[in-house]
Amino acid sequence: MAQIAAQRYTGASVKRSEDPRILAGRGRYIDDLKLPGMLHAAFVRSPLAHARVLAVDAAAARALPGVVAVLTGADLEAVTIPGQDPLFAMMAGPGPKPEYTLLATDKVRFAGDPVAVVVAESRYLAEDGCELVEVDYEGLPPVVSAAFALDPASPPLFANLGDNIIGPHKRSEFGDVAGVFAAADRVAEFRIDVHRHQNVPMEGRGCVASYDAGSGTLTVHAATQSVHVTRMGAAMRLGIDADKVRVVAGDIGGSFGLKIGASREELAVAAASRALGRPVKWVEDRSENLAASGQAREESFEVRAAVSADGDLLGLDVAMVIDTGAYPVMGTMVPGIIEMMLPGPYKLAALGFESTAVTTNKASYIAYRGPWASETFVRERVLDLLAKDLGLDPLEIRLRNIAPRTDPPFTMITGRPLAGVTAKESLERIAEVVDIPAFRRRQAEERARGRYLGIGLATFIEAAPGPRSPEGRSGPMGMEFMRLALAGDGVVTLFTGQMPHGQSHQTTLAQIAADEFGVPFEQVRVVVGDSDVVPFGLTGGSRSATMTGGAALHGARQLKGKVLDFAAHLIEASAQDLEIVDGQVQVRGDPDSAIPVAEVARQAASGEFGADVDTNLEVEASFDGGEGGWSGGSHCAIVEVDAETGLVRIERYVAAEDCGALINPAVVEGQIRGGIAQGIGAVLLERSAYDQDGNYQSATFMDYLLPTACDIPRIEIEHLQTVPLDADVNFRGVGEGGMIIAPPTLVNAIEDALTPFGVRIYEQHLPPARILELIDTADAG
Amino acid sequence: MDITVSVNGAARAASVEARKTLADFLREDLDLTGTHVGCEHGVCGACTVIVDGRAVRSCLMLAVQAAGSEVTTIEGLAPDGALGPLQQAMRDSHSFQCGFCTPGFVMQASAFLRAHPDAGEQEIREALSGNICRCTGYQSIIDGVLLAARRSREG
Repeated sequence: MAQIAAQRYTGASVKRSEDPRILAGRGRYIDDLKLPGMLHAAFVRSPLAHARVLAVDAAAARALPGVVAVLTGADLEAVTIPGQDPLFAMMAGPGPKPEYTLLATDKVRFAGDPVAVVVAESRYLAEDGCELVEVDYEGLPPVVSAAFALDPASPPLFANLGDNIIGPHKRSEFGDVAGVFAAADRVAEFRIDVHRHQNVPMEGRGCVASYDAGSGTLTVHAATQSVHVTRMGAAMRLGIDADKVRVVAGDIGGSFGLKIGASREELAVAAASRALGRPVKWVEDRSENLAASGQAREESFEVRAAVSADGDLLGLDVAMVIDTGAYPVMGTMVPGIIEMMLPGPYKLAALGFESTAVTTNKASYIAYRGPWASETFVRERVLDLLAKDLGLDPLEIRLRNIAPRTDPPFTMITGRPLAGVTAKESLERIAEVVDIPAFRRRQAEERARGRYLGIGLATFIEAAPGPRSPEGRSGPMGMEFMRLALAGDGVVTLFTGQMPHGQSHQTTLAQIAADEFGVPFEQVRVVVGDSDVVPFGLTGGSRSATMTGGAALHGARQLKGKVLDFAAHLIEASAQDLEIVDGQVQVRGDPDSAIPVAEVARQAASGEFGADVDTNLEVEASFDGGEGGWSGGSHCAIVEVDAETGLVRIERYVAAEDCGALINPAVVEGQIRGGIAQGIGAVLLERSAYDQDGNYQSATFMDYLLPTACDIPRIEIEHLQTVPLDADVNFRGVGEGGMIIAPPTLVNAIEDALTPFGVRIYEQHLPPARILELIDTADAG
Repeated sequence: MDITVSVNGAARAASVEARKTLADFLREDLDLTGTHVGCEHGVCGACTVIVDGRAVRSCLMLAVQAAGSEVTTIEGLAPDGALGPLQQAMRDSHSFQCGFCTPGFVMQASAFLRAHPDAGEQEIREALSGNICRCTGYQSIIDGVLLAARRSREG
């Protein structure tokens, strides 16, 4: 196993190079862009969840001074290609797929569905125009619940599918499911629900599209997690060759999975720019963001758990239904990941899993930080429910069931080896940091005084990137590409397809490259956000630390080799005898021979060398993930629940995390805390609510409540000593873990606090009113 | 309507529609795009600017209501791009990630610290609880404000 060498920048909380512009108000977000002649778009949206569109009358809007055009669904249908979301088209399995247009034509499928786009000289005028567009609807029965969607009598959202089931029923079995359940001492059954909630980045979606008729090129200034996926989407739906589409991006105000690819509205704006021959800007407002950009996580699980009398979790049999909303994006892809990840770091010997994905008249189910997170919620909830039944402590049942770290590694029943997983160590670290016996004593004392304290634990692993499978040719996340060049001024320049939106890649990748190449941090530049310049890539799935970090490390090493080969022509020495130290190329150990890297770059560009000398100081690098490895950890929350008001106060929150070698601890801790905060919000505050007619109830921040500085406690973080697997690259992803593990941690703590009332919790959303209901119902029962 | 507003120390005369918000006036008419619009209904605080010494939500104020007032935006705190002491403390504390909420937090914290230089953690949390950050979990922001306050006390 490799040792992680002590290095200068990698592993230090280097101050972010993004911060001087961001803190000075000099960031460049999509709404900050103004192009000459730019028009502004606003959308007319359906007030109904499910209806036929009989007529759209835009005459009055078109007559309004300042309105340049109103494009209806039919107008855009004539100039675009129907199809699916680019991510869905790329990743969904076989079978019939829904066909739909950018704007609704024959029918609307959720409250907020775009029906027409008004383009005007200002956003104010575009919104005025929207008020004047008359749409004649004929209501259809709304399909609001998954249960109704499963009913063959429900009216299909998409005529070509015939019903509302888009992911067909599918069952898999791993291990001897029937045998394990037959032999178990007991079989427990639960139904566990996860509620719909959503990303809510502080900046919503938006773009400025600019079509140049002369060259036939479309430029899209986008807020996106991947300029290349956006480019694919625009090319596909507008029918333009991909090489005539350029997507550029500046600073992005958060995303958490929302801004992958190209949304229907953004593509409609691009089509409008082409139709009108002028740049068009659209930036969604908050109500559009909440109602129409997409939501996540509405899933239900029928769980059977086979367990031994002394607490061995032997098998699970799970039937999942996922409500993917109206226009499928991500929902059909989630069950497969949940199936693979359900065993977690445990010795589970059998898993039966079946899933059904349905389409409903609600906003689309989209990716949200840790899209498969419900596997951890279900498993960690089940462990606590079983522990309660068996009279076991939550720590004890977990330690009892965690797979041992063996060589060769224990393999999850779903197939992946648990190489280097430190789940057990993370629980032991929690038990060191939190004196659980002392807490139990205090809990008992406080209960006697009518105060209800609880402790919750949960454990997870995340395939970030995941283990390399023995037979696999490429790594677990495919390939990551990077171009690196030594610029004429001696700056090591990295071109990456990562599209940072808070992850600090311009700092972290520069740290790695600076160390590996041998220049000061300030002498590295990370170029992002231009599909004409950067290689294919996507920021998502916690891939950047390992995959892009690895590409930066190996790429800088390759570039350094090339620079030294050339420098050997300047310094009378062989390349093997040269090194780069602090931005100087020199004979190993001989500072007197030093030439600045910038001088080497200048010489290479001078044109004074013959064809036999390679002066092209540029490399194409790629990385396949190396030996890979898991991220993971355990969290612990201590809460107090006020049984009179239902309010939950988080007294203490401890995270024991292993994300491999840390590139920048402050950045890592920011990712962990941010994820936990979203998990706390999901449990205590956030819910994307629809009424029975499919009207959206959470379209403002007065209705969709986000956690504030008073809701999130100080979070203690313990970094575990990782088990290095790769010779060079042991950085692992940490973006999603906090959001995956915080909800079960917190719900487990709340249930523990409510033990005296006999409360059992089978859901994730626990605002005060719901907690009071749970107490009352438990009393009644 | 014709208005004159002092923005970051300079008098700015403009003709604006009565319905135009102060946020849109700053961003669109004056090209001061450091002020961000996050919710347009006064909850998230991203658009916070200082008007006559008080932190206000520029999405809830009309430009015409600011006529004759002194407005300070994030650009006014760092006139030459050099960070002021609060911004520097926030950088040192890795306070932010995506940066969209940042100008609002900086302006809110700046106004609060001026009035409460000795504030402790809980007071700072409460003072910033009207600003929403979706990335950080707030601790790094609170730490940045505490650091700025400590540095200012220690001179």
